[in-house]
Parts: sequence; structure tokens; C-alpha cells
Amino acid sequence: MALRFLMAGLLGGICYLDRTAAFQVMLHRPLIAGSIAGALFGNFAAGAVAGAVIELLYIARLPVGASIPPDDTGAAIFAGAGAATAVPAGAPIDYAVVTALLLLSVLCAEAGKVADRFVRRINCRIAQVTIAAVDRGDIAAVDHGLLAGVTLFGAVGVALAVGFSGLGVLAGRWLPGMFTTGERTGFAQLFPLLPLLGAASVLSCSRSERSAVFFYIAMAIAFGVSLAWNWGLR
Amino acid sequence: MSGGFLPASVRRAVWRRQFLVQGCWNYEGMQNVGFAYSILPALVHLYAGRPEDLTKAIKRHLEFFNTQPAMGSVILGAAVRMEERVAAGEEDPRAIGTFKVGLMGSIGAIGDAYFWGALKPLASVAGAILSFVHPLLGISVLLLIYNFPHLVVRSRGFAAGMEGQEKAMTFLKGAGFKLRTEDRKTVAAVLGGIYGAMAVWHALAAGVSWGTAALYFAAAALLANLFTMMFRKAVSPSELLLLLLIVGLLLFPR
Repeated sequence: MALRFLMAGLLGGICYLDRTAAFQVMLHRPLIAGSIAGALFGNFAAGAVAGAVIELLYIARLPVGASIPPDDTGAAIFAGAGAATAVPAGAPIDYAVVTALLLLSVLCAEAGKVADRFVRRINCRIAQVTIAAVDRGDIAAVDHGLLAGVTLFGAVGVALAVGFSGLGVLAGRWLPGMFTTGERTGFAQLFPLLPLLGAASVLSCSRSERSAVFFYIAMAIAFGVSLAWNWGLR
Repeated sequence: MSGGFLPASVRRAVWRRQFLVQGCWNYEGMQNVGFAYSILPALVHLYAGRPEDLTKAIKRHLEFFNTQPAMGSVILGAAVRMEERVAAGEEDPRAIGTFKVGLMGSIGAIGDAYFWGALKPLASVAGAILSFVHPLLGISVLLLIYNFPHLVVRSRGFAAGMEGQEKAMTFLKGAGFKLRTEDRKTVAAVLGGIYGAMAVWHALAAGVSWGTAALYFAAAALLANLFTMMFRKAVSPSELLLLLLIVGLLLFPR
């Protein structure tokens, strides 16, 4: 188990660096973070289901200017680790537990946002020290300042990932006894609302009427085709 | 990557370093340390043997700076080109600050709309849908859809900037970001609709009648509309998720 948390820390370090400080090649997206967290804790597919749902929930919250969106990477690590712990590999997905994990993951998303804000405040001090050092003619301070900032982002990412995956594992062990299992009973009845929230989040990124029309037409066609495909025309 | 006086190895070093432009993002100077770090190899080369000018040049780039990180490559390339001219005594150093401040807002707005508001949702929704076929397929598609244009803009934008301010502006105009943004938002909306249909499909038990299915669909469409309006009114997804958690705990106790 210690090795799994070590790997989770490594995953977090990479994902959180990609999130803000370095590259931004989307390695931090919940689909990726959730799937890998799931794989680390024993069930890749369960982690991917959790990650795929969280992927779109916060997509309309843009990292513009000084605004910090909720930490969907941390939410996915929590939910992915939890889902993998709760659902043994190869077993059918327990949607009641996965739904509860996804809803609880909002606490991680908000906690991660607070941590991100904290890092950026500390970086203010690093930037001030860098500028003062350059004033004194120390040009290497620019490299050192950046390295300090990147290290801080990475270290906080490692700590968050270990913490969130630990909480996820605890929740994954504790939750299965809490709910009536079954795909369409109890807590699982709330599950379809989550991808629907994600779809609405995507639509809210566009304010044009054309996009809304295309959204509902595509929804109707996809729904009709899947009905016809699965049940046959009655 | 063409340019005037800088050797290709220095230009490549600057290009590579742009990926860390947000490495020390802070509330005061925002990307200031990252920008200075990115342009540093060029400054060290251009002001070799002139330590005072080098310090002044670095300080110029430690002033407040913030833009969309991928689009920042255009400004970075142009700033390198302008520093070449300043080092050769052909341009006033204050022009660099004016250029950066003048462009970072508008270029940031274009980049935010394109990368965060259109390309990322498109890549995410395509990845999320395909992850139901196989998670690795979803992940691959997400990374490909986002990173192909992302790396092209980083590369071509930097190269255009290195050609000078006019070429940078020509690149920004010629790239057609506005049209591309609208197109990608429309495609993302179509895929969002398909993703929404999958949610409705999941809610249905096998064997229900067409009438019940139509009722479910209508309810889902109305809910999607309601959620969209709430998001547009700045209701946070976190608030809605917390509300759902409370509702779930009240309706489905142990």
C-alpha cells in the first residue's frame, strides 16, 4: 500500500505541475488523473468512470486572470482511488458508491483550490526576493526563483495527491456498507444527473443560440439512435 | 524559427523555457518571473560582457505580465526580436514594455476564449465520450485534440514573433482564432448533447415504453437547460454538487 501512495504522490506531482506551473499539456485532466489513480488502487475502469464524469463538471470554470477554478484534478484522484477501492477489478460498477464519491469529491475540489491560492501567495514572496536579487546584480536569481516556484507547486501537488488518495481509499472502504447497491436504486438514482451537469457545463461555455440548437438536436438524435439500436423499434 | 542575431540554440532554449512561464505564478507580478526565465538565454547572449545592460533587461521582464500561456509565445518571440534591436541600439527599450502591456490583454482574451473556452471543452467531451468505449482511447483522443493545436500555436506563434511585431500581428489575424473558437464551441456543444443523451440512457431501465423514454428525455433536456442557465448566472458546480449530496443523504438514508 505504501508503494501505491508513493506512486499516487508522483502522479500528483506531475498532474499538479501540468495544471499550472509547467507544460499544460492536459495531463492533469480528471479523466487521466482519475484513471491512473484507479489503476494504482486496483481498478482502472472504475477510476476512469469517476474521472470521465468529473472531466466535464468544472469545464466552464476558466483559469482566467487571477481566478482559480476548483481543483478537479484532486477531485478525480479522490474519486478514482475511492472507486477503485470500493469496486473490485472486474466487478460491475456500484453506482451508489461511485455517485457518493463523486459528490464528496467536491470537498477535495474546494480544498485544492484553497491550496492553490496559498501557493500563489507564497510565490509573491519568491518573486519579490527574485526581483531584489536581480537588483543586486544576481541574474541566477531568475532561475532560482522559477525553480522555487515550480518546486512549491510540485510539492503541494504531491501532498494533495497523497492526502486525497488516502481519503479516497478510506471512503472507498467505508461507503459500500452505507448504501443500497444496484444500478437504479437508492443513491445511484442521482448518478445520471452528474453527466447531465457535465453536458450543461459544456453547453454553458458557448453563449450562441446556434450551439444550444445543435446541443439539443444532437441529444435527441443520440438518444433516439441508442433506443432504436438497443431495443428495436416498437 | 527565423531571427536576426541569435543562434538557433539560444532560440530553441527560449522556446523550450516558455513551457514554464507560469512556474512562479503569483498574485503581484503573475507570470513576471516565468517570462524573465523564458527570455533569459536570449538576454544573456545579447548582453554578453555588458552586465549593467543585462540587469536592466532582466528587470524589464520582471515587471507585471499575464496572458494565456500558449498565446504568450507570440509575445515572447516578438520580445526576443525587440531585445535584439535594443541590444543593437536600434530601438528604445521602453518600447518592449509598451508592446507587452499593449498586447497581453487582447491576446490573453483571444487565447482564453480559444484554448480554455473552446478547445479544452471539445477535447474533454470527446475524451469523456470515448472513454466509455475504452478509457485509453478517451485519454488519447483528449490529449491529441488539445495538444496538436496547442503545440502548433506555441511553435508558429513564437516563430512569427521572432519575425517582428508586424509578422506577429499578421499571424494573429491570419490564424482566424475567432472563427475557430466558434466552430470548436459548436462541435463541443454537439458532443455535449451526445454525452447528455448517454446520461438519460443510463437512467432508463431496459424494456420501458417509448412514452416513458420520451418523458425521461424531456425531463433531462429541461434539466440540462436549467443547469446551463444556472452556470451562466455564475452558480458554481460545487454548490450544485453539494446540494445534490444533501438531497441524496435526505432521500436515501442508510
